[in-house]
Order: sequence, then C-alpha cells, then structure tokens
Amino acid sequence: MLRVEHLTKVYDTGTVALKDVSFTVEDGEFLIIIGLSGSGKSTLLRSINRLIEPTEGRIVWNDIDITALDEAGLRRVRREIGFVFQEFNLVERLPVLTNVLAGRLGYVNPWWSLFYYFPPQDQRRALDALAQVGLAEKAHNRASALSGGQKQRVGIARALVQNPKMLLADEPVASLDPVLAHSIMGYLERLNQERGITILCSLHYLDLVQRYATRVIGLRDGRLVYEGTGEDIRNMTDEEFKQIYGEEAQRLGG
Amino acid sequence: MNAKRAFYAFLSLLVPGLGQMAAGAVARGIYILLGTATLWGLTVFTAAQRARFPEQVYGLSFAVLTRLFLAALVTLAVLRLVYEAVARRLFPTDDEFARRVANVLFVVVAVVVFSLSGPMMLQWAVPPGASRSLYTTVLLIMAVVLAGIWWWAVLDAWALAEAKARAEPSPSWNGFIALVLVGTLVLGTRIVGIDLPKAIREYKETGRILGDIVWPWRAAFDYEATELRATALVQAPCPEGETGPPVNEPKEGEPWVVVTPTCGDLSVRDTKGKLQYGTLLHIRGGGFVPGKVVKIKWENPIGNEFTPRGLGPTEIEVGPDGTFESELYIPDVVIPSFAEGPQIHKLHAVQPGALRFTGKLSREMKLALQAMLESIMIGLMATFAGMLFAIPMSFLAARNLTHSLRTSPQGLVGGVFGLVLGGALGWLLARQVAAWLGGLDKAPVTVALVGFVLVLGGAVLGFRLLGAALDRLSRRLPGWANAAIRYGGFALIGAALGWPLGLGYAHGILGIAWDPAEVAAAAPDFARLGAGLGALAWLYLAYRWGDQGVVPIGHWIYTATRTVLNVVRSIEPLIWGLVGVIWVGLGPFAGFIALTIHTIAALGKLYSEAIESIHPGPIEAIQSTGANRLQTIMFAVLPQVLPHFTAFSLYRWDINVRMSTVIGLVGGGGIGFLLIQWIRQVQYEHAGLAVWLIAITVSTLDFVSATIRKRIV
Repeated sequence: MLRVEHLTKVYDTGTVALKDVSFTVEDGEFLIIIGLSGSGKSTLLRSINRLIEPTEGRIVWNDIDITALDEAGLRRVRREIGFVFQEFNLVERLPVLTNVLAGRLGYVNPWWSLFYYFPPQDQRRALDALAQVGLAEKAHNRASALSGGQKQRVGIARALVQNPKMLLADEPVASLDPVLAHSIMGYLERLNQERGITILCSLHYLDLVQRYATRVIGLRDGRLVYEGTGEDIRNMTDEEFKQIYGEEAQRLGG
Repeated sequence: MNAKRAFYAFLSLLVPGLGQMAAGAVARGIYILLGTATLWGLTVFTAAQRARFPEQVYGLSFAVLTRLFLAALVTLAVLRLVYEAVARRLFPTDDEFARRVANVLFVVVAVVVFSLSGPMMLQWAVPPGASRSLYTTVLLIMAVVLAGIWWWAVLDAWALAEAKARAEPSPSWNGFIALVLVGTLVLGTRIVGIDLPKAIREYKETGRILGDIVWPWRAAFDYEATELRATALVQAPCPEGETGPPVNEPKEGEPWVVVTPTCGDLSVRDTKGKLQYGTLLHIRGGGFVPGKVVKIKWENPIGNEFTPRGLGPTEIEVGPDGTFESELYIPDVVIPSFAEGPQIHKLHAVQPGALRFTGKLSREMKLALQAMLESIMIGLMATFAGMLFAIPMSFLAARNLTHSLRTSPQGLVGGVFGLVLGGALGWLLARQVAAWLGGLDKAPVTVALVGFVLVLGGAVLGFRLLGAALDRLSRRLPGWANAAIRYGGFALIGAALGWPLGLGYAHGILGIAWDPAEVAAAAPDFARLGAGLGALAWLYLAYRWGDQGVVPIGHWIYTATRTVLNVVRSIEPLIWGLVGVIWVGLGPFAGFIALTIHTIAALGKLYSEAIESIHPGPIEAIQSTGANRLQTIMFAVLPQVLPHFTAFSLYRWDINVRMSTVIGLVGGGGIGFLLIQWIRQVQYEHAGLAVWLIAITVSTLDFVSATIRKRIV
C-alpha cells in the first residue's frame, strides 16, 4: 500500500508544483492521474521515487517512509519501482539489450558496472523481458535505431527486469499514435493483472483512462481535485470535468 | 534658468565634467573627467618618453602641452564664433541635413586652420632651450583634441542642464567618444612606433629573407662540389742550402700544378703596415677545363685556406689546351711565435665545377625532422596526460552532475571532519609505506603516487563516510544535540579556515611594508584574530542555516573547480613553458608539462560543457532503477558524452601540436627550439625549413582531426 501524505513541492524558482496532496493506493491497483500539462502529474510521480525531492509531506510504501531514506535505502526502494517515461529516456548510443540490463543496476555489484558486466542470469532475464515485449530480435541494435513504439517497449522491458512491485508511468503514450498507445497500455494492463504490479500512470486521453483505470485522481495547479473509479469517469459531469481541466475546457465526444 | 545653465557650463570650463556632476549626472561627469585626465596624462608621458632622461622633461612637456592647449582652446572658440555667425546666415537651422553639412565643413575648416597655424603655435609654445624634436605635430594634435573635448564638455553641460530641465534624455556621447578615440589613436601611433616610411624603405631586404623562408628546399639536401683541384707544396722560410719539397711533375689526364721554387720566404708586413714581398713563385698548371677560371688558394701549415690578396693574380683563365701560367708572391702568413723552423705550406689551383645533387638530406633537415617528431609527440603525450586529469575534473565542473550533491549542516560538519581525519590517516599510512619503500629519493614516482592516492582517497572516503553518517544521525538526534554539532563544528571549521588567512594577511599583506622580524612577532596574533573572525562568520552561518538547512556542497565543488580551470586556462602555454623549464630544465619534458597543464584546464572546461549539454532523461531513467552515482555515470553520462569527449580531445591534440611547435621558443623542446635558434643565427633558409615542416604538420593534423571529428559527431 502506498500512502501519500500532505505532499508539497516548491521548486527553487518558487513554483509551487504540488500543494498538500494526499491519497492512498492499494496494492494491485491501476491508478491513473489526470490533469492539464503543468498540473503537477510529473512532479507527483517523480516525488514517489524521489527523482524530485519533495519539500514537505511523507510518502510511505509498505510501511517504509521513502522520504526519510538515506541514499542506500532509497536505491533499494527504487529498484523495486519501475519507471516508464514519456520520452522513453533510453540511452540512445547503447544497444537495446544494455538498455534493458540497466534495469538490473540496483541489484548487481556496482563495481561490475565499471566494465558494463552483468551476471548471466541477469542477461537471460533481460532477453526474456525483451521477448515479452516482442523485441527479442532487436536486442543487439542500437537504441537510437528503434521507432517510438519500440523504444517505449524497451522502456517497459527495462522496468520489467527490475522485478518491480510498483510501476510509475509518466504519460507513457503521449508521444505515440493511438494504435501504439493502446498496445503499450495493453502491456501495462497485463503486468497489472497477471503479476499484480501496482501501476500509477498519468494520462491525457480520457478514453484510455476509462478503458484501463481502476482508480482515477485529478490534479489541478498542484492540488488534488478529483478522486474516483474508472467507472466514475464514464459518468463524469461537466462540473467535475471543468474542475479538473478549467472553466474554458470543452468536452469532445464523451 | 539660463544663468544656471551658464554656471554649469562654466564649471565644466574650469574642470571638464564638473558641470555635469553639478547638474546631477555624476557618472557622466566622472567619465568625462577621467577620460580627459587620462588623455592629458598620457600625452605628457608620451612626449616626455622621447627624451633621454624623461624624468627631467615631464614638467616641460606639461608646460608645452598647456600652452598649445590654451592656443587651441582660443582658436577653437574663435572658429566656433565665426561658424555660428556664418552658419546661421547660410544654413537654415531647422534643416537636419544642412546642419550636418555645416558641421563637416566646420571640421574641415578647423583642420585647415590648425595645419596652417600649427608651426607657429609650436614655435610659440616650445621654449627656446628645449629640444624641438620632442615636441612635434603629435603634441599639437593632442592639444587640439583636448581643447575639443574641453569645449564639448562645456556645451554638453549646457545641453545636459537643458535636457534635465525638460526631462528629456541626456544628449549623445558621440562627440566625446569620437574625440577620445582620435586622441587615443594618435597617441597609439607614437607609442607603438608605427613608421610607414621605414616599412616601405626596408622592403627589399625583407624580400630576400622572405624568399629564403618561402622556398627553403635547397637547404634540405646535401650537395657535392665537383671541383678540379691540384696542389703543390711550398716550404717557408727557406734557410740557406735547403731546396724544399720536390717539384711536381705535370701529369696526364688529371689536373696538375707546378710551382717553382718550392722553397722561399714569406712576405712580411712591417711595423708601418707596409708589405715587404717575399719570394716570387712561378705557377704553371694543366689538365683543367679550357675557357674557365682557375682560382689560386693558399693553405697555411695548420690547414687554413684563404685567397691571397695583392700578391698576384688569383683568378686565371685556362687556355684552350687546359693549361695556365701565373706568378704569386708567397703571402704574409702569421706564424705563431712558438713555431720553429721551416713550415710546409700548400698552394691549391682550384677550378670550381657544378654542385652535384646527392639526394641525401642535409644535417639541418634531419635535425628539423627529428625536432618535428619531438613536437608531434609532445603534443600527443600532453593531450593524453591532459585527458587523464581532465576527465575526473570535468565531472566535478559539470553543473548538472554536482548540483544534486547536498547535505545538511550536520552532514557538512561530519564531512569536513572526515576529510581532515581521512586525509591525516592517509598521510600517516603514506609515510609508513614511503619508509618501507625507502623514501622519496629511492622510489620517487611510487612514493608520490601512493601518497597522492592515499591522502586523496582517505580525504574523499572520510568526507563521504563521516558526512553520510552524521547526516543520517542528525535525523534521529534531538534538536539541542543537532545544534551542538552544528555550532561547535562550524566554529571549528571557521577557525581552521581563518587561521591561515590571518597568517597570510600578516605575511603577505603586512609583510610587504613591515620589517620581517615585526611580522614574525605579530603573525600569531593575526592568526588568532583570523581564527576568531572565521569562527564568528561560521557561527553566523550555522545560525542562518538552522538544522533544516541545505548545504549546496555540490555547487561549491562546481564553483571551485571552475575557478581553478578558468585561472589555469587563462595563462598561456608559453608562460607554463617557463614554469616547466624552471621545474625540469630545458627540453621536451618542460614543453610537455606546460601543454599538459593547459590541456587539463581547457579540456576540463570543454568536457564539463559536453556533460552539461547531455539529455537529463537517461540520467533520470538510470537513477530510478536504483543505480548509484558511479553506475549513473557509466550508463547514462558516459555513453552520451563519449563522442564529444573524443572530438574535443582530437581538437585539443591538433591545438597541442600547433602549440608544441612554439613552446620551444621558451626552451620547451621541439621544433620551436631549432626555429628560434636558426632565426637568431640569421640562417633564414633553415628557419624556412622549420616553418614549412610546421605548416605541413599542422595542416595535415587539422585535416585529419576535422575528418575524424566529422565522422564521430
């Protein structure tokens, strides 16, 4: 169980990205975070594994206070939390396989990393993960040679080899076309349902939210303004919509 | 209102800029005053410098400039009045273009007037006793410029007051800037000693030398002289009864020369310098090439060959049958006083032939090639050594890597104590190891390396371990304990930093003026004072930060590294070359040291900028897998920066080879050493060889490195 308590983030520039955000995520949930660009979705996700240091508040995961961890403790927690990025964030000049193997960095002896060495079982695990996302034959290509959808699948494979209990996905499909978006979301759903991995994912498209979410929270200007289930989104009122997306927002389709 | 303006204008007439200051434009006034004063001082200085004993003519120069200045001031005022009267009538005042034309005309008229009246003004201004050559046109021009500035300041004060009254923007600086520029340029030609006539007069000699440098390739090879030569022996002096060496016989098929007699007396120069002829020799030769000249040369007993002058013909044309005949007095060879008895001299008949190309490189060319190789190697080695140090430094000088390094004030206390403790432990350990290895003299490199690694490693390890430990501990400690650690630790740190600063102030600043004994006596007090002040300053910091404070050590490390890199980089390699020569003596090693130091700084900066420009995304991604700092660098940073590093290193190699060709000028080895030597020996052909080799090497390398860089990036 993940508990976010009174989370606040103020950047050095003075921007208040998150303001007193509290919510709880049960194990095995598929939580989707919605909100406009700049509403604090990325900051929230990055605060959970402290890629961004929260200014105030606590994040407690399975009774571990992540916000109070020292560096070593933080690394141990991070390796159990996968992260999938909008821009994939692969190391373009390295082979696909190495990019996936990077997911094991939290587990291997750091000195081996000086020589880019990974134990054989890690290599097998990485190849397995690549096969699961259907990219086994690309293992030795450079990451830069892949298309956008392939890159995101490598990103998911990298998160997979971490053997994560939780997966954070920051707009994982925003850079992809609708068909690819569904296939990537499909991978995430399978992980959620087959392996019971808790997923926190920020999204823009409400149809995807309706399709995949078990729970939804909405952020606006760094505040939590909406909480509901995937079912609730389908029955969302215009007021609720405007609460999340602002007074000028128009609902299209529905 | 007009009275006020006039007052400001008058103030600026007394002291330029004063009116502006009074009118409220203080900065403007100061600029005008400083500009005028500087120009005035420079003019006096420049004029006086031309005298052999300048300190005696400063006053005189000042007086002459003042008189010229007053004359120019009055002349300008008169001209301006005439201009106002005439221009008002000729040009309508509201026409901008006409006003500009009038202004240009005014300048032209002023130049004409001053050129005509200049000699008179100089005549009047320079006192009769003073050397006229010291005070020439330059001084006159400067006086006119200064007078122009003066009047400009007056008019500007007036216009400024007007603009201020109407709340308009201040009038433009253009006139002032133009005048100062003209004055500076005129002074510049004198100080630099720009002398166009000289440059034009001397072009012929330059052309000859340049020719040697532009095409020196004859000097790159050895030539064999294919001369015909025949030799006869002559004994001198000739005591009674001696006949000297046997007379030569004419030979068939090769050059020969027969001299009779083969024994005689030397010519002698008497005390008045008049030549008393010695024995007249009859010379007959054959077997030479017909129609060409044979030269007669004399070789004294110790082997010096020379052409005798005024003792008979020394260049004789060979007849159609290959023979010649001539006569020569035995020359006046100076015989050392200790040489006793008769000596054997040689007479050569020499017919110079064509120089034969041997195809072998000349000694100088071989030297130049060798030195060129040395230069390339200096550049290569310095690049590699520089890379070795620049890579770790560049990580410390990259903002995006260091800015996340933060700690609590308590962590800082722990870190600093760990640093000192670890360093000290490393030092003790290093001393043990050094003693075991047999001391610095026995194994200098090993001992220095072990010492460096142990002390640095100990310091870094101590910093990290104790810093992290205290940082973690402080989260569990009660507030009073944290405060105790913070205040106590900071006071100690401040004192430790202030102590050497106090000592440095005593020795470095007071030591300039004070007697050394006094300094030594007072130094401990200053050290204590420094420590006290440092402790106070850091106690204030401890108070400011509080126990929740964030200490940006990463930013400190970044700033410190950047500062060191910038300072080192701003010192030219040639200067580092001097340091290297003092350190390890003349030769390529000194050049290597110089280039390495500069390379570390230059590459450190370039590398760190490459690191700063990488995508932050992969770093985030690698960090979120639980990777530590080293792994993040290996997986997210290095792959991104490696191509840039390679490109920059190649570029630097290119620069280093270019620099290594001149590092020899200060004794740093390589081809520059030969180049400067040959230039000083006026061997321009050989210098030309060096220049050519440098040009070929540099442009080749430039091409190669550019090609490789294009492929990588």
